[in-house]
Amino acid sequence: MGQTLSQKIFARTSGRERVMPGEVVWCSPDLVTTPEVAFPAYVRRLRGLGMDKLARPERVVVAIDHEVPAHSQAGADRNRITREMAAELGVGHLFDSEGITHPLIVERGLVRPGMFVAAADSHTAVIGGAGAIGIPFGFETALMMAAGQIWVRVPETIRVTITGMPSPGVSARDVALATMRQLDEETASYRIVEFHGEGLRHIPFWDRMTLCGLCIDIGAKSAVVPADDTTVAALRSLGVADAEMMTSDADASFAHEISVDLAGLAPQISIPPSPTHVRSVLELGGMEIQHAYLGSCASGTIEDLRASAAMLDGRRVHPGVKMLVIPSTKRVFQQAMREGLLNRFIDAGAAVAAPTCGPCFGGTAQLCPGERRISTSTRNDPGRMGSSEAEIFLASALTVTASAIAGRIADPRSYVRS
Amino acid sequence: MLTPYHGRCWKLPDGVSSDQLIAPPHVFNFEPDYLRQHLLAEVSPDLARSAKPGDIIVAGAHFAHGSVHSHPFIAMKAMGLGLICRSLSRGPYRLTVFMGVPVLTIDDETYCAIRDADELAVDFATGEIRTTDKTFKAEPLPPFLMEIIEAGGGFEYAKQQSARSSSHAGSG
Repeated sequence: MGQTLSQKIFARTSGRERVMPGEVVWCSPDLVTTPEVAFPAYVRRLRGLGMDKLARPERVVVAIDHEVPAHSQAGADRNRITREMAAELGVGHLFDSEGITHPLIVERGLVRPGMFVAAADSHTAVIGGAGAIGIPFGFETALMMAAGQIWVRVPETIRVTITGMPSPGVSARDVALATMRQLDEETASYRIVEFHGEGLRHIPFWDRMTLCGLCIDIGAKSAVVPADDTTVAALRSLGVADAEMMTSDADASFAHEISVDLAGLAPQISIPPSPTHVRSVLELGGMEIQHAYLGSCASGTIEDLRASAAMLDGRRVHPGVKMLVIPSTKRVFQQAMREGLLNRFIDAGAAVAAPTCGPCFGGTAQLCPGERRISTSTRNDPGRMGSSEAEIFLASALTVTASAIAGRIADPRSYVRS
Repeated sequence: MLTPYHGRCWKLPDGVSSDQLIAPPHVFNFEPDYLRQHLLAEVSPDLARSAKPGDIIVAGAHFAHGSVHSHPFIAMKAMGLGLICRSLSRGPYRLTVFMGVPVLTIDDETYCAIRDADELAVDFATGEIRTTDKTFKAEPLPPFLMEIIEAGGGFEYAKQQSARSSSHAGSG
């Protein structure tokens, strides 16, 4: 019997030849990531226990990404303490206001296919787009930084086969939401969602981050697109030489299988109160919005910015809509600047801000009671972006842009130019 | 051995998300005394004020789904609450254990039979749940995870383990 990709990863990181789903093994993650939100609290807790050393500081990534730039005294203090503690502990990689952790570590060439990345933050599954497995652990990450190890129950795997070719206006978010329609939490919990199939050819490298990142919200342990030619070529351009195309064996055992046909897929949208409440955009067409946000670790890629700017070319954001665009990293911001995309957003009436997680969790650009935002971010729980009486709809960069132009939720297929 | 919990049932519906347990603006703070004031502020506003150690949150399916945040469990631990629910996914399951909050998952029949404000006696070690007139049985956590909860959570467990290994080293 062959092995799944995650069996191979957890065998390697636990120093075993082979592991079976359901087994509890002690693993050494290849990378451990923590945002500044939690890092000082973790270090204080560890110091309180007399633990003032990191087991493998060279594998630890700390990113100041949630409150950037600081807009409260507490935030400024926390960012400074994060810098100081990272230096004291010899943290291998401190990223100070460089972008959102998950796309950032891929962009900086720290992620290789087949890696196990353990994270404090929920949406680490994003890095699955690079063929690695990212798993969130919350506060447990603190102990992992000190011990260098974590117990993991080897997960089963769900195989999602992507077929067909999408119509213009349909992108990775729609594929993720179509996957959510078929997988409920009972099916997804404790399992890895693994994407396969010839349809993946139509999902570019950075879009795969969106695809994987959103699967955490089904309740899955993580999600991954095993590395293929697209991955290897993209990683090479990021300075990762000879990335291995590590994948599940043909005769590996999968706990559950589904398929998603891109050919018939229409744009999808998550309605309140949960990302898993998925509808077709057509069902909601015409609902008025006051805010549109393009950003977060589930978007804000150069590809999303290009697609959105192309749609806005010669058009304007509706006067009743505040549109906010935040590139996910500084390098994406600079690339968008060089290509003239930021100018186009601003000309069209949108605002552009420096890379941060901010609006996704209500840290900035909060909503008022009765307002509605369409957003490319990760979650839409009541109160997630300010007032609990505001509503958040989650959709692709194209659907967000089309809706920003229309002033109401709109099907991007009517706005894309071929 | 973990002593049984005796207290009031705080019943919650299905699908209470992590962001509803502790609203996102509070996640920068990790202080137990701060977080306990904000637990379930929108869903069950009396809970933060009135819950007592030994009380039990009895939730429906998908408890704490969404963001994998430690904060609700830090608050529950500080308040001395236990947790019973129909289901919870991997992230919150780990965090309940790591924060030292005892947990049991129950079937639909048990969930429906327990009412809000019922007096409950719950033995997390054996899985026995008693109301004033009925007794139910749930599957207790595996011994490996029960040990972490009995220690008071992952940090305390790690501390005990390291003390144990150094005392062994000393006696050897």
